[in-house]
Amino acid sequence: MIPQIEFVRPKTLHDALSILAESGDGARVIAGGTDVIPGFQQGDLRLKSARTLVDIHHLPELKNVETRDGGLAIGAGITFTDLAKHPIIAAEYPLLKQAALTVGNVQIRNRATLAGNFVNNAACADSVPPLLVYNAVLRIQSHTSVRETPLSDFLLSPNQVQLNAGELVTNIFLPKLSASHSGEFYKLGRRRGTAISRITLAVLLKVTENRIEDLRIASGAVTPIGMRFIDLEKVALGKTIDKSFLKSLANELGEHVLSKTGIRWSTPYKLPVLQQMFFQLLCRVRGCSGEAIR
Amino acid sequence: MTVNFVLNGKAVSLVIAANRRLIDMLRDSLGLTGTKEGCGIGECGACTVLMNGEAVNSCLILAGQVEGAEIVTIEAIAKHGTLHPVQENFLQYGAVQCGFCTPGMVLSTYALLQTNPQPSEHEIAAAISGNLCRCTGYKQILEAVQKTVEEMNSAPSEHGRS
Ligand SMILES: Cc1cc2nc3c(=O)[nH]c(=O)nc-3n(C[C@H](O)[C@H](O)[C@H](O)COP(=O)(O)OP(=O)(O)OC[C@H]3O[C@@H](n4cnc5c(N)ncnc54)[C@H](O)[C@@H]3O)c2cc1C
Ligand code: FES
Ligand code: FES
Repeated sequence: MIPQIEFVRPKTLHDALSILAESGDGARVIAGGTDVIPGFQQGDLRLKSARTLVDIHHLPELKNVETRDGGLAIGAGITFTDLAKHPIIAAEYPLLKQAALTVGNVQIRNRATLAGNFVNNAACADSVPPLLVYNAVLRIQSHTSVRETPLSDFLLSPNQVQLNAGELVTNIFLPKLSASHSGEFYKLGRRRGTAISRITLAVLLKVTENRIEDLRIASGAVTPIGMRFIDLEKVALGKTIDKSFLKSLANELGEHVLSKTGIRWSTPYKLPVLQQMFFQLLCRVRGCSGEAIR
Repeated sequence: MTVNFVLNGKAVSLVIAANRRLIDMLRDSLGLTGTKEGCGIGECGACTVLMNGEAVNSCLILAGQVEGAEIVTIEAIAKHGTLHPVQENFLQYGAVQCGFCTPGMVLSTYALLQTNPQPSEHEIAAAISGNLCRCTGYKQILEAVQKTVEEMNSAPSEHGRS
C-alpha cells in the first residue's frame, strides 16, 4: 500500500530544487516510479520516512540531449525508450543503447529513467557498466550548488551513493571517444524476457598496430556494485593482443571478481560464465572468432 | 488533489487522494474495470494502458503524474460496437482463455502497431514481453497478432486509422 503522502509537481527544475531544499528529510524524488512504487508496495525501509513525493518526470530540463565539448550531455530524466531511439547515442555510445534495450520490457522502458536506474546503486542496474566504461560524469544540482562527479566516485557501496538531501542528478556527460574505440555489452538474466541481471559486462577497447592502447572493463550484478577493473586494465596496456593474452586476462578477471565477492553458492556457475563471456566479448570486438577458452 | 487529463478522448477532472494510482482512478473512481490489476508492482502487464500513445503499467503511475496526459484504455479500442481487428483475431485464434491478461495484451499490441505496422515475429514477442499470460503459452497470441498484421497490410484503407 502506498502511504498517505503529499505529492507535488513543480513546473520547472528551479522550482523542484527549491521545494527539495524546503522540505528536508521527508522529501523523496519520483521520476518513472518503477523503483519507487514497487518499493512502497514491498515496504522498502528507505521509503519509511517519506512524507512528500516530488515528481520530476515531466521536467523538460531533464530530457535534453545535447553535444558539449565534443561529448554528449544526456538529461538525467530521459526514459530508456527515448535513450534507445536517440541517433547520436546509437552511433557514438552504442553500449548504452544496448543496455537500455535490455531494461525490463516496453512498459518499464517507457517510464524508467536513466538517473533513476543508478541512484539506488543496485548491482543489477543495467545502465551502469556502459556508463562506467564511457567515463560518465554526473552533474548534480541543489538549490544553491552545482557539482560534477564521475559516476565511478558517485557509486559508493550497495545502496549508497554520493548524493545529499536536496540534490538532483540533472545530467550525465559522456566524454568524446576516439573513432577507433569499440566495445560490447552483455547481459545474462535467468530468461530472455523481463529479467533482473545476474551478470552484466561492458568492455571498450582501442588497439593500435596490434597493441592495446586503451582497455576499459566494467561489471554489474556479479560484483556487489557496478565497477571498473582499473588494475586489470593497466596490466593490458601496451600488450600485444592475441588469443592467449585475452585468455590470461579472462582468467585474471575471474580472480579480481572473486576478491570482490568471496566464494558464494553461485560462484562455480557464475565465474566460468563471466570469464567465457569476457573472452568472447573481446574476441567479438577484435573480429576474431570467439572459440571456447579451454 | 485535482487531476485533469484526457481519458479515451474526453476531458476528465478528478479529485483524488495523492497516494492513489492511475489504475485506481480508472477502476474505482471512473468504473472502467476493463483494466486489470495482477501484481501491482510492474511485473505482469495486466494493468497496461496507453499514456500519450505509449504502453505503460497503470499500477506504477501515481494519480498526480497523469496531469495533462492522454490515457487510452481497453474500453476505447472497439469503435462503434465493432471490435478492433486485434480483438477479433484474439477471439478467432484462441488467444483469450481466462481473459485476465487480454486487455493488457491488446493494448501492448495496439501500441506496437501504431508505430510499426509490419512487425516481425521477434518484434511482436518483444512488444508483449511485459505481459504475462498463464493460460495460452503465447503461441495463440503471436498467431493472432501476426494474422492482424497480415490483414491490416492487405486492407490498409479499412483499418488504417484504427
Ligand atoms: C518489472 C520491472 C523490471 C525491471 N527490469 C530492470 C532491468 O532489467 N534492468 C534494470 O537495470 N532495472 C530494471 N528495473 C528497475 C527500474 O525500472 C530501473 O532501475 C529504472 O531505471 C528506475 O528509474 P525510475 O525513473 O523509474 O526511478 P524512480 O522509481 O522514479 O526512482 C528511483 C530512485 O531514484 C531517485 N531518483 C530518480 N531520479 C533522480 C534524479 N534525477 N536525481 C536524484 N535522484 C533521482 C528516486 O528518488 C528513487 O530513489 C525493473 C523494474 C521493474 C518494476
Ligand atoms: S498489475 Fe501492473 S504490472 Fe502487474
Ligand atoms: S488468458 Fe489467462 S492469463 Fe492470459
